[in-house]
Amino acid sequence: MTQPARLRITGGTVYDPANGVDGVVRDVCIEGDQIVAKVPVSAPRLDARGMVVMPGGVDMHAHVAGSSVNHARRLLPEEHAADPLTAPRLEDGAVARSGTGGTVPSTFATGYRYAGLGYTTVMEAAVAPLAARHAHAELDDTPIIDAGFFVLLGNDDYLLRQLAAGEGARARDYVAWLLGTTRGYAIKIVNPGGVAVWKGGGDRRNVSGLDDTLGSSAVTPRKILDALAGAANQLKLPHPVHIHCNNLGQPGNSATTLESMNALSGQRAHFTHLQFHSYGGAPGKGWASAARAVIEYVNAHAEVSVDVGQVMFGSATTVTADSPVEHLLYASSGRKWVNVDIELESGCGIVPYSYKEKAAVAALQWSVGLELFLLANDPWRVVLSTDHPNGGTFLSYPELIRLLMDRGYRDDRLKAVNQKLLVGSALLDGLAREYTLGEIAIVTRAGPARLLGLKNKGHLAPGADADVTIYANDADRAKMFATPRYVIKAGSLVVEDGQLRRAPAGRRLAVRPEYDAAVTTDVKRFFDQYACVAFENYGAALP
Amino acid sequence: MTDRTVANATCLGCGCTCDDITVVVKQDHIAEARNACALGAAWFGDGSVPAEIRVNGSAASLEQALTEAARILNGARHALVYLAGDISSETQREAVAIADRLHAAIDSLAATAAPAVLAAQRRGRAGATLGEIRQRADLVVFWAVDPSGRYPRYGSRYAVEPRGVAAPQGRQSRALVAVDVGENLGPADANGRVAIAPGDEVDGLEIMRATVQGRAVGEDARFRPAVELARRMTGARYVVIVADGEPGLTLVDPARAEALVTLAQALNGPTRCALSTLRGGGNRSGADAVLTWQTGFPFAVDFARGYPSYQPQAGAATLLGGGDVDAALVVGTPATLPVSVATGLARVRSVVIGARASAATFQPAVTIDTGLAGVHEGGTAFRMDDVPLPLRPALEAPHGALVTVRALRERLRT
Repeated sequence: MTQPARLRITGGTVYDPANGVDGVVRDVCIEGDQIVAKVPVSAPRLDARGMVVMPGGVDMHAHVAGSSVNHARRLLPEEHAADPLTAPRLEDGAVARSGTGGTVPSTFATGYRYAGLGYTTVMEAAVAPLAARHAHAELDDTPIIDAGFFVLLGNDDYLLRQLAAGEGARARDYVAWLLGTTRGYAIKIVNPGGVAVWKGGGDRRNVSGLDDTLGSSAVTPRKILDALAGAANQLKLPHPVHIHCNNLGQPGNSATTLESMNALSGQRAHFTHLQFHSYGGAPGKGWASAARAVIEYVNAHAEVSVDVGQVMFGSATTVTADSPVEHLLYASSGRKWVNVDIELESGCGIVPYSYKEKAAVAALQWSVGLELFLLANDPWRVVLSTDHPNGGTFLSYPELIRLLMDRGYRDDRLKAVNQKLLVGSALLDGLAREYTLGEIAIVTRAGPARLLGLKNKGHLAPGADADVTIYANDADRAKMFATPRYVIKAGSLVVEDGQLRRAPAGRRLAVRPEYDAAVTTDVKRFFDQYACVAFENYGAALP
Repeated sequence: MTDRTVANATCLGCGCTCDDITVVVKQDHIAEARNACALGAAWFGDGSVPAEIRVNGSAASLEQALTEAARILNGARHALVYLAGDISSETQREAVAIADRLHAAIDSLAATAAPAVLAAQRRGRAGATLGEIRQRADLVVFWAVDPSGRYPRYGSRYAVEPRGVAAPQGRQSRALVAVDVGENLGPADANGRVAIAPGDEVDGLEIMRATVQGRAVGEDARFRPAVELARRMTGARYVVIVADGEPGLTLVDPARAEALVTLAQALNGPTRCALSTLRGGGNRSGADAVLTWQTGFPFAVDFARGYPSYQPQAGAATLLGGGDVDAALVVGTPATLPVSVATGLARVRSVVIGARASAATFQPAVTIDTGLAGVHEGGTAFRMDDVPLPLRPALEAPHGALVTVRALRERLRT
């Protein structure tokens, strides 16, 4: 047996906020795929003097794999033709793959580009259970990054039936079974109840608030939120329920967002892409920022966590299970549009989009995201995301980091955007805050790892996964974070001198909560009655 | 081996990809494929496949065949990889990797539905998985297709017969309308019929869309039935338009596919609508999905420049016919190849790895017979609506397609 690979990263300035290390020059030691306290003096060294050392980045909310993402890829041949990637030349003789980029890159390109950005863990944020097998296949073809996915449950027909029947325990068992059989990681709610209404046809297109009823039953978005938040907590899932609220993207939706947070008061819950849910104004009567009110609620409630879902100017592709919203975007933008209703479970909507600095709403969205970041008191609960590729791609994270760290740059950019809807924006009042490197380390790795319950991610104490990113310090933070000098994944040096050198397979992150097996008898009965996939063929369980 | 039954087997006989087949094996042959339609029963057959390996027509060892296959492909100036039918998506992934490594062109059976795929790339989709059609549809419009011919269980499993959550009476909860376009007729037992002349088809679809959108349409009597149908669709709760994505016996206006998409999209203004595009079997939808996730393009990809480029106007038949490729690797059952591709393959040195490879009519240099995915080999296949399903092999074959393609990949130049 060969000796496990050892490495000592020497002389770097380490930011490891989970362990209270904020810019301290110290060595980081690696043996095999783990961080260790020390390695022998003879171990190979990596000279990181003058550089910044952080744990590998953790993206807790992105759309990178699965049937919806693949529909988006299929829709974007122009983008792919414009952004080709030849196969990187790897050091270890392994053969890499070519691919294409754009806002929704091919799988191999996704893995290489995340690693090239210093990110080593990514969560795919929305997988319909019916297509779980597809998502796993794509993640198998997405190298380097460790990945898992969130399972769509907020419009699931079987679940809603249990809630209507008051079968709370069975609903919870179903959730546990479903997470296991799909090899998923967390519970995802998208527009609770709204997608089910959209799919139902007829006059109703969506729900408008927490207490709209679904069909003739007593099920409401409030009830769905409460049941699934409760399930996640009772099942002791590593990540609490991950919520995309009702009324995404609508003026005045901050009221719904705050009501949703209030509805779960006292329960752990994660509210995702908060920027898209923090608008004042009213439908048909204009828009305004409501970022301050929303983030003040978050600041005051330790059980709530969020990721921002920042909008970045440039090309994006909106891809979401919130299909009624995508229909609105299609109708207003005139762009091409994909809608796929997914049997008994969920939906899928896609519209390519671009956010322009001169567009009033896009400028407001950009401002709202930055306000949320800059008014947040606890970076551990406010994670950096663009809801890739919805608000912008993951490749725009370095630019976003610069906006957070460099007030002068931010103020210059602010002057260039459409000001029409920025009245009342805290950004316009001159938010002076500049994120520190330690805070960036929190919002891009330590925080999301902790919120995801990934005990071995996002920090550099002995026993942690040897996922390490090393940046050449640069006053231009966008440049610094766009091209890390070294990236180590599970002990393997994947990026060296800014070049991708190795592309090992990543690991899958999944949960397997326990449940009362009696639920499967009932689910099978439901399948026999309505589904057109055999119960035995459903999910993606390994034999 | 002992007699056995394999339940919940998935059939690749057509794009319905029915996963409720019980395969009964007696004396190492399939005695019955229960629940299968006639197409499915023929696809399963008795499960016997040849197990020959040939190099230049003579029997050879696997080692000799792989060596010769690698020699041909490594020596090619510009090779073509073709994903034929009856292979798993795991095998498709390996085959795309080979094309990438060889800087080859790659195409697949998914290209047979090119007009529908290209229309979806230009305009998008208003779609649903087949099970959602079952749950929701109250009005099903069969546009110039009767699925009972090429997709025999489409009606009984998805769009017509079964009870759904919003169609509690099954067939009785739904109205069926047949749109007959020339010789392409809808189902005989539809509740209503509309006839449209082939030359009026695209105009008819555009007028229907205008009607749905409340735009003024002319009073041309030819289009009155279409306008009435459009009004009826607008008043339904959840409309499904069923159209065949695969080519038929008569040529279809290439603008038709796009007109169907935009009509279905427009119907989502006043009501809900999904367009269900029928696609053929053999896991061609898997080839589309795999190529899309690995390259960003669904078919007709060329790695010649070291990265994927999309050549939808220059697919396999065109490359072969124009002398643009000098060697080919076919993975899958050669009998599933479109005639134009099979004809073109006779012009180049080719390697075939797949079920009944030895029966290929285009005189390949190397053939390696494997089993069929879903009969002899497991893995994943995609239904015509992109729903992934597992394959449950009931039999064994001497050579698996996946391991053979992987072995070939390892012998190729880097």
